[in-house]
Amino acid sequence: MSKVIVVTSGKGGVGKTTTSAAFAAGLASKGHRTAVIDFDVGLRNLDLIMGVERRVVYDFVNVINGEATLRQALIKDKRVDNLFILPASQTRDKDALTKEGVESVINELKTDGFEFIVCDSPAGIEKGAFMALYFADEAIIVTNPEVSSVRDSDRILGILQSKSRAAENGDVIKEHLVITRYSPERVDMGDMISLEDIVDILSVPLLAVIPESGSVLQASNSGVPVIMDIKSRAGQAYMDMTARFLGEDIPHRFLDIEKKGFFKKLFG
Amino acid sequence: MIATQSALELKGEMLMLNVLRLQDVDIKLIEETLQQKRNEAPLFFVQSPVVVDCSNLSQEQGKQLDLRALRRLLVRMDFVPVGLRNVSNAMLAASMTSGWNILRSSTKHPPQKALVINTPDENARVTENTSTEEQEQNEDAVSTEPVSEDQVNEAIENTSLTSRQKQGLIIERPIRSGQQIYAKRGDLIILSQTSAGSEVMADGSIHVYGPLRGRVLAGVKGNKKARIFCRSLEAELIVIAGCYQLLDESETELKGKPAMIHLEDEKLIIEPLI
Ligand SMILES: Nc1ncnc2c1ncn2[C@@H]1O[C@H](COP(=O)(O)OP(=O)(O)O)[C@@H](O)[C@H]1O
Ligand SMILES: [Mg+2]
Repeated sequence: MSKVIVVTSGKGGVGKTTTSAAFAAGLASKGHRTAVIDFDVGLRNLDLIMGVERRVVYDFVNVINGEATLRQALIKDKRVDNLFILPASQTRDKDALTKEGVESVINELKTDGFEFIVCDSPAGIEKGAFMALYFADEAIIVTNPEVSSVRDSDRILGILQSKSRAAENGDVIKEHLVITRYSPERVDMGDMISLEDIVDILSVPLLAVIPESGSVLQASNSGVPVIMDIKSRAGQAYMDMTARFLGEDIPHRFLDIEKKGFFKKLFG
Repeated sequence: MIATQSALELKGEMLMLNVLRLQDVDIKLIEETLQQKRNEAPLFFVQSPVVVDCSNLSQEQGKQLDLRALRRLLVRMDFVPVGLRNVSNAMLAASMTSGWNILRSSTKHPPQKALVINTPDENARVTENTSTEEQEQNEDAVSTEPVSEDQVNEAIENTSLTSRQKQGLIIERPIRSGQQIYAKRGDLIILSQTSAGSEVMADGSIHVYGPLRGRVLAGVKGNKKARIFCRSLEAELIVIAGCYQLLDESETELKGKPAMIHLEDEKLIIEPLI
């Protein structure tokens, strides 16, 4: 059984691509055959963060247009077995994505035995974001602890549960909340919305909290998914996220000691 | 709720009203565009408070605009005209004599729900119907057909809807920002939350068992007996039979608490829910 998982947020720059790369690498490192697709046509950067930008020959749009086979376009990661990247085109626009085209690529990945297909959504609620979420079975909602990000996540949740194929068939997409760039200090200072408030506003089960960490930028500059930096807090938090997604019961970390009491009350 | 000061500032009071930003002053043209919009998104119009924003009009256009006709048009189209915003000095006198309120300007952050006349690209933002799931389950849930003026007028005249009352519509999932749900001819029961930026409407009463955070409109076709019941009153805008109240402007001590709202002599009464 393969699962299509969209990583989405509505708002840009919140950490969708960082999360897609880390999560996909995490799933693969746990032995699951995983493909991660960049839906940000025209603004690709998943390949950059994964350090494969110089290995891109064909892309997602080429495959949709029949200019290349899926096999030709998929880039196999050299560090993690089971991990494959389908880059976006830098030169086309979002209209190049068609429902039929996206569906045929996803179906082929499923037939190829991919267990997880991670779709890195572009920002916004336009065509690219719609295509990324349309075929999803589950959704990872990436949110930053600030008002506009939370509001946009709420909006994308509505679209997810009303405009996706699952919704059209009367099904419900399973939702997971990932709060990234979390800084307990700034929450205490009142600059950021607290974890409890975000969960309260969105009422989506919390999968992970990724702390604000300089290692994220370092990792992406050197083309290594941050999850491989096992010494960094962000890397460890992404590792926890992956394990939790796969069903392990792991307590949340990096939340500030004071908040922990309240948090535990809320989530056990 | 969001505890930070900045959160409350960002929200902005105008966010809760529909804004009609005029790009043209030809009433015919405005009417045609509105009519078109109404066909696309009928629910947007039912007793919806609206602010007319004149910031995109030139001085000359401002003088030409027939404010009386505009007001009549909006009322005819089921809007509740609240006032004018960003009027030039040249328009001030005409605004007052034609019965319009002038609202304080706030141009920096245009509200999300702006209905822009003449720029089709932005139309997509106007409304987003709720899930097709509900549409299929209950044909009365969400009207995708235009509500005709006759229908509305008829309903307003005949406020006793009990004879035609249908069974309530029950929604289990949260209603998110940008979503609208409308229970036609009956009550609406929401088991989960409604988000800020959402809109829940019913011809009858509305019950919300999660936090009520968006706009809530009961008795949208004029039923003054309609009530609103909620477990946690955090709504942006409360409307019963066209009488409306911004929660932020209300003195009630029941914010965030269980509450029942009903209409008494055209006034919304917010009471504790026992
Ligand atoms: N946990 C984090 N700590 C610090 N910076 C982060 C974190 N997550 C993401 N970033 C930074 O935020 C920016 C946007 O991230 P990205 O994943 O590209 O967002 P999106 O795909 O949502 O646009 C990047 O510069 C990235 O390095
Ligand atoms: Mg991205």
